[in-house]
Amino acid sequence: MAGEDGTGAPKTQAAPDEPRKLGRREVLKGLSTVPALGLFGYAWEKQRRYQQAKVDEIAAAAKAPEGLREINIALLGAGAQGQVLTDAMLRIHGLRFRAVCDIWTEYNQKRVVNSLKRFKHEPNAYEDYREMLDKEKELDAVIIATPDFWHSQHTVDCLKAGKHVYCEKEMSNTLEGARAMVAAQRETGKLLQIGHQRRSNPRYLHCYDKIIQEAKMLGRIVTVYGQWNRGVTPDLGAPDRYVISDARLAHYGFKNMHQFRNWRWYKGKGGGPIVDLGSHQIDIYGWFLGANPSHVMASGGNLYYDPKTHEWYDTVMAVYDFDTPLGPAKAYYQTQTTNGSQGYFENFMGDQGTLLISESEVNYAGQLYRDPNAPSWDEWVQKGYVSAPKEQETRAKSDSGAIADVRESVAPDQHTVPVTLRDPYHQPHLQNFFDAVRGQARLNCPAEVAYETAVAVLKVNEAIEAKSRLSFNPQDFKA
Amino acid sequence: MDEWKTSRSGMIAITVLRVVVGWHVLYEGLAKLTSPSWSAAGYLRVSRGPFSGLFHWIAGNPQLLDQANQITMYGLTIVGVLLILGLFTRLAAAGGIAFILLFYLCNPPFVGYFYSIPSEGSYLIVNKNLVEISALVVILVTRSGLFAGLDRILHLLVFRRTRLAPA
Repeated sequence: MAGEDGTGAPKTQAAPDEPRKLGRREVLKGLSTVPALGLFGYAWEKQRRYQQAKVDEIAAAAKAPEGLREINIALLGAGAQGQVLTDAMLRIHGLRFRAVCDIWTEYNQKRVVNSLKRFKHEPNAYEDYREMLDKEKELDAVIIATPDFWHSQHTVDCLKAGKHVYCEKEMSNTLEGARAMVAAQRETGKLLQIGHQRRSNPRYLHCYDKIIQEAKMLGRIVTVYGQWNRGVTPDLGAPDRYVISDARLAHYGFKNMHQFRNWRWYKGKGGGPIVDLGSHQIDIYGWFLGANPSHVMASGGNLYYDPKTHEWYDTVMAVYDFDTPLGPAKAYYQTQTTNGSQGYFENFMGDQGTLLISESEVNYAGQLYRDPNAPSWDEWVQKGYVSAPKEQETRAKSDSGAIADVRESVAPDQHTVPVTLRDPYHQPHLQNFFDAVRGQARLNCPAEVAYETAVAVLKVNEAIEAKSRLSFNPQDFKA
Repeated sequence: MDEWKTSRSGMIAITVLRVVVGWHVLYEGLAKLTSPSWSAAGYLRVSRGPFSGLFHWIAGNPQLLDQANQITMYGLTIVGVLLILGLFTRLAAAGGIAFILLFYLCNPPFVGYFYSIPSEGSYLIVNKNLVEISALVVILVTRSGLFAGLDRILHLLVFRRTRLAPA
């Protein structure tokens, strides 16, 4: 390191104009690139100001417009899902974050509080939600994104403290817990929305209201197929400096940090992939079919992950029977966590058409196939319910000389659903909740509706354990 | 190559190159440092190629990942400042080479490897990381800090004084 660390300069590579004595000329040459650092500082500051201006713009846009009451809210559970909900709520007008509560004070709580401060909110931070409810008297609503096994107690206590509640799905990991939530909602008269956010997604609403109910474009839905395939994911961990003490973990129901970070895989804490992922989509089955299931059979197991740290099934396949108002239907659902091919979607197949839909704006964002024997959809195309048909690739191929087997059905026309969502996926559902708090809307997923889904979904794990087809009693769906 | 010297205009060009590379590295470091939730985990998890096992292992080990995040954020920032100032230039260039080489090896554009991350260009073996590594090699071997940078002053203050000191 010639001349730089005092070890001596190699004479074979002498730099031109090598310094000889420390004069003004040498000092100037030595300092000649310092202005570049000053220029960088100037550009950096400009960039920071630009970014801050964008943040201020968003914060200003989120202020309550004239005549709109500001709603004071608290976030209970500031993990990954809490962050997702926070990001969506920052785009909603008229909300004021008053508090953030999370037991991981060293990381989650700090991260969300800091991100809210950037958007001009000044939330108080709490570890214990009871202390938060005691001190934050001005709260109108609490957004709950804690692990499933805490949902019931958190929701009941918040409702009883006089707060409206938005609680993430699954509403509870037990039906007793879910029933207690419904009972507390009825007793207090406060609002309780469960986070099945597809219920407020404009594309799903359009498909249900216009395509299925009004235009009846699918005819009678006889089969449903849906899936959520997710690739292998390593367990979540935490650096040593952020690890929570054993005593605090035990106080909040966790036996160690691994269980705290990966609670979804543990029995008694979450419900496994069928609940985490399947619950969203099985909820849509019941909604679109207009019925609750009558039977379910399921197979699943720990095929891949270590059952000591992944107690719930990593692979599940379930078949439901539905007695819909139009006749019987069968609905298949699979979730597996070892291969993410084809991702997630729901496919409703009626005798007149098929609807392939998902929450994603990138994959399966609403495709409709008209059965060749179905009545024309021209009226619905003209009304803008679906796009004009696109010629099928298979048909184009058959025109090129391929010979179709007589047993093959003629390829159906493909249409698309002309409704997109440019906002975060959870934003419309949260907006619906806050509109309801202001008395301007009805909840799209109130506790009773979510309870029906919880009954249908939690039964899958039961059916896997029982290794037999289980039946539902209509009374099962009443909380 | 006993006594080769780079021309004055060549050294000016290399100094400009050093400042420009330093600017980029410094901004990469500062942008990560000031982002509330930046982590290398995403980049490491999508690693492909012959060294992917190592990068996946780091991504899957919270302790190592945390250290990798800290080293990357602070390391890039320090290297960037040193390159701009021309201070400990060769050490900074070597550090920059080490960092960028790791980025390169994490997702190298070797024959037969395809990436799901969208790229703004088309690369085969040589990508912008490798170009920047090459630039740093030039900076390292030509001692541009001695031409224009704080190393020049340091050289006079420390090295010459040491050399002239009586035995």
